Amino acid sequence: MSFGTIRISWLLPLCVLLLAGTVAGAAVESSPSHGDQSSNVWTVEQVVASLKEGREPSVSFEEATYSSLLTEPLMVRGVLRFTPPSTLEKEVLEPYRERYVIEGDRVTFESERKRVKKTISLEDYPALRSFVEAFRASFMGDAAQLKKVYETAVEGTSRQWTLLLRPHDQAGKAVVDYILFSGSEGHIGTIAIHAPDGDRSVMTIRRGPVK
Amino acid sequence: MRAARWPVLVWVVLITGAFWFTATRLSVHSELGDLLPEGTTATQRLLLNQVRSGLAGRLMLLAIEGAQPDELARLSKALGDGLRGNAQIDFVGNGMQGLSPEERQVLFHSRYLLSPTVRAETFSIDSLHAALEQRLDDLRSPLAPMIKEYIPTDPTGEFIGILRSWSGWEAPAKHLGVWMSADRHRALMVVETRSAGFDADAQGAIQQDIQASFQRVLTESSLSARLLMSGPGVFAVEIQRTIEREVWWLSTTAATMVFLFLYASYRSLTLVLLSLIPLSSGILAGLVAVHSWFGFVHGITLGFGITLLGVVDDYPIHLFSHLTQKDSAQATMRAIWPTMRLGVLTTAIGFASLLLAGFPALAQLGLFALAGLGTAAVVTRWVLPVCVPAGFVPREIQSDLIGMMAQLSKAKVVVPVAVVLATIVLIWSDTPLWEEDLATISPVSEEKKQLDRQLRGELGAPDVRDLVVVEAATQEDLLQLSETMMPKLDRLQEAGVLAGYDLVSRYVPSRRVQRQRQQALPEPALLEDRLRDAVKGLPFAPGLFSPFIAGIETARSQPLVDRGSFHGTSLSLKIETLMMEHDGRWLAVAPLRGVVDRKGLKATVAGWGEAAVAYVDLKEESNRLMIEYRDRTVQLLGWGAVIIVVALGIGLKSLPQLWRVLVPIVAGLIVVTGIVNLSGESLSLFHVATLLLVIGLGFDYALFFNRAEDHPEERRRTVFGLLVCSATTILVFGLLAFSKIPVLHAIGLTAACGSFCCLLFAGILTEQDPHAA
Repeated sequence: MSFGTIRISWLLPLCVLLLAGTVAGAAVESSPSHGDQSSNVWTVEQVVASLKEGREPSVSFEEATYSSLLTEPLMVRGVLRFTPPSTLEKEVLEPYRERYVIEGDRVTFESERKRVKKTISLEDYPALRSFVEAFRASFMGDAAQLKKVYETAVEGTSRQWTLLLRPHDQAGKAVVDYILFSGSEGHIGTIAIHAPDGDRSVMTIRRGPVK
Repeated sequence: MRAARWPVLVWVVLITGAFWFTATRLSVHSELGDLLPEGTTATQRLLLNQVRSGLAGRLMLLAIEGAQPDELARLSKALGDGLRGNAQIDFVGNGMQGLSPEERQVLFHSRYLLSPTVRAETFSIDSLHAALEQRLDDLRSPLAPMIKEYIPTDPTGEFIGILRSWSGWEAPAKHLGVWMSADRHRALMVVETRSAGFDADAQGAIQQDIQASFQRVLTESSLSARLLMSGPGVFAVEIQRTIEREVWWLSTTAATMVFLFLYASYRSLTLVLLSLIPLSSGILAGLVAVHSWFGFVHGITLGFGITLLGVVDDYPIHLFSHLTQKDSAQATMRAIWPTMRLGVLTTAIGFASLLLAGFPALAQLGLFALAGLGTAAVVTRWVLPVCVPAGFVPREIQSDLIGMMAQLSKAKVVVPVAVVLATIVLIWSDTPLWEEDLATISPVSEEKKQLDRQLRGELGAPDVRDLVVVEAATQEDLLQLSETMMPKLDRLQEAGVLAGYDLVSRYVPSRRVQRQRQQALPEPALLEDRLRDAVKGLPFAPGLFSPFIAGIETARSQPLVDRGSFHGTSLSLKIETLMMEHDGRWLAVAPLRGVVDRKGLKATVAGWGEAAVAYVDLKEESNRLMIEYRDRTVQLLGWGAVIIVVALGIGLKSLPQLWRVLVPIVAGLIVVTGIVNLSGESLSLFHVATLLLVIGLGFDYALFFNRAEDHPEERRRTVFGLLVCSATTILVFGLLAFSKIPVLHAIGLTAACGSFCCLLFAGILTEQDPHAA
């Protein structure tokens, strides 16, 4: 897989954070040593490295969309799943049912309410690519690539850290102003994506078993 | 003696003039479309128009293979970008192509006229509420950044609806944004060329361009992969190249063999060179005649015409064979001229039937052969004898030809037996007598056809053959009629009768429908009231939809859309191929995909009871067209035969003589037809045209065999001359019979067998000279 050939690699961090979400539980349990180093500052390398350590088959999420078009945020709840070797799935359970299954460059979209099922290429939908990139990053743990595409800034301690990503290139900046991860230890708590027009979406990853 | 030289002077002047004309003025075309007839019915004219310049012919299918999927995607993108800048290419599809911002602007601006979902109900409170809920879903979906800008201006989703209804076919699956086969072994592309698929020269240039672009892309990316190309244009180029290659080596080999054979027969280089004079004069005359009449000469006329003119090579051979020490060449010529003249005349009548067939390709051929034949005969009569050096005599023929002839004439029973056997073959053979399917004479290899089917299937590109055609007096009538066809075609698609279709009304609605849509748009005050109710309970920002209300107000009185509205966009090209003016009528041509049961579909479409709507199977139509012309040619040949018999009767002034001349030829034609059929081939137009040559040769043989000769020596010379004539013909055409190109093979087999049979039968049936014993 020639990862470097993908033009809009700015989405990598987004994936990273999603990925982090999916592996968070496992990471915490499998690397208890982090807990002992509570005073250490976390780095991008550490966040990415933690992704490689283990995978949780699924986590639940809650995503809030804030837009200037709306008077109140829109909420979506669902499950993120990872099936080895390479399938990532985002399933929306509430308030309607919808499923995105991503395998390599192919995305299968299924909506009960719209009665559609179709397969598309990720390349045509840059907004979706974040999921795939996250998924790929989990294999590669490539912090260097992440830094190449984004301006990164980590703040805080391992107990309470934030990772700020700003795309370097114009194409990335057109869709994303910045992405902010926040988390504690090996666990990512929220992922906020801020668009240049001020709209944003905030995804909260919940640990614990998925029903 | 001096007086006899003036024809040579005239000939030198004329031939120099013709040579100059040929060298400077002659335009040789290679576009097959130029040879196609105009068509006699409206359907045929449409078909031929489609064949000449239609989209199906201009569509080229490309595939890149031999690399990893990610690499294939990169190559496809780079090649696509490169080809989009090529002026000879109208459109490149590889999955990356989208509507340009200008095109989106045109569509967005006219969304309330173009969207099939614009009805009065669309703007009821309930519908609006449902639409707004969907927009909330959109905002929550991962695609929100791409969709949200349209929400305030188009909350009912008309623009997205237009785009959805326009994607009429299931595009191939994509990988990294470009089309790829399901197994990801091939990146798929389509290219629409500007020039017609039959224009082999232009197509060849475009294909070279594409290959060059691909090589550049490979070099730049330092990857290795293969580019496959298919489609009518690719086939046209391949056919032309194959024919050129085969014709070149076949004619070179044949010419060498004939040259050596003539030299071996007469042991005189002078004679061999002299024998070229009538043929080359005939070719020049044919070229000048065809160019003067048609304005161009087709490459096929040239190749096939020279073949037909092969018969004139017999004329100088007759002269040389009869040369003796006693008489001058002029005297010898005068002696054999009556016989030769009759042969020329009867052959000319045969060729004339080609001229009258009404098929441009055959008419060119007929004119070429007639002019060439006449010129060659005249040159042999008045020019050649003067050129023969005084006292020139070819070597003596030692073999006992007369004895052989006597032996041969005892075997008279061979002729009826051969005819009966051939008749039995023709009656009971499993091979049909007539070829009804043009495809079998295509020199394109089965492997290439297979690739074409495969790529077409993977790309979901329309087949070249199935169309629904709608006809009307005006554009508006046409669009209205097409609109009524859409639900019917949709039902057929749902029923699986066809996999998909493309029709102009999908893109350009009739004015009537556009007005209905405008009338369905509510007044601003009313819309505002309804919207206020519809938005209740939904978290949309106040005043968000004022652009929507303004947009509807504009649309209520905006100018209607027509073909011209898309001018300068890629949509305009598409619309031009789907709808056109022809003979003062308007036609919509809807290409169909994935038709399985053609007979059933034809019946279904006929069952709709619309006289102006028809299903056309291009393949069936073109076959029918060919058959029509073949039948007409055969019919003309029949009349030609009657005229020939009358002319012969007058010329020979003897019924038994007429009988002896006619029987070998008729028997020869039957036996040749039997042999062709036995070899598993059915007769095509090409066989029929070659049978004309056989008739010409046959008359030549039979007339000379039955010539009244009072000297055994004279007779021996005649027989020797005929053997040389026939042997050269069999050499040349026997070689053609080994060609892999079906048409050349057909010509070669027919002519070689024909020459042999006619000579044999004429020899057997001839009245033996009483002096011979």
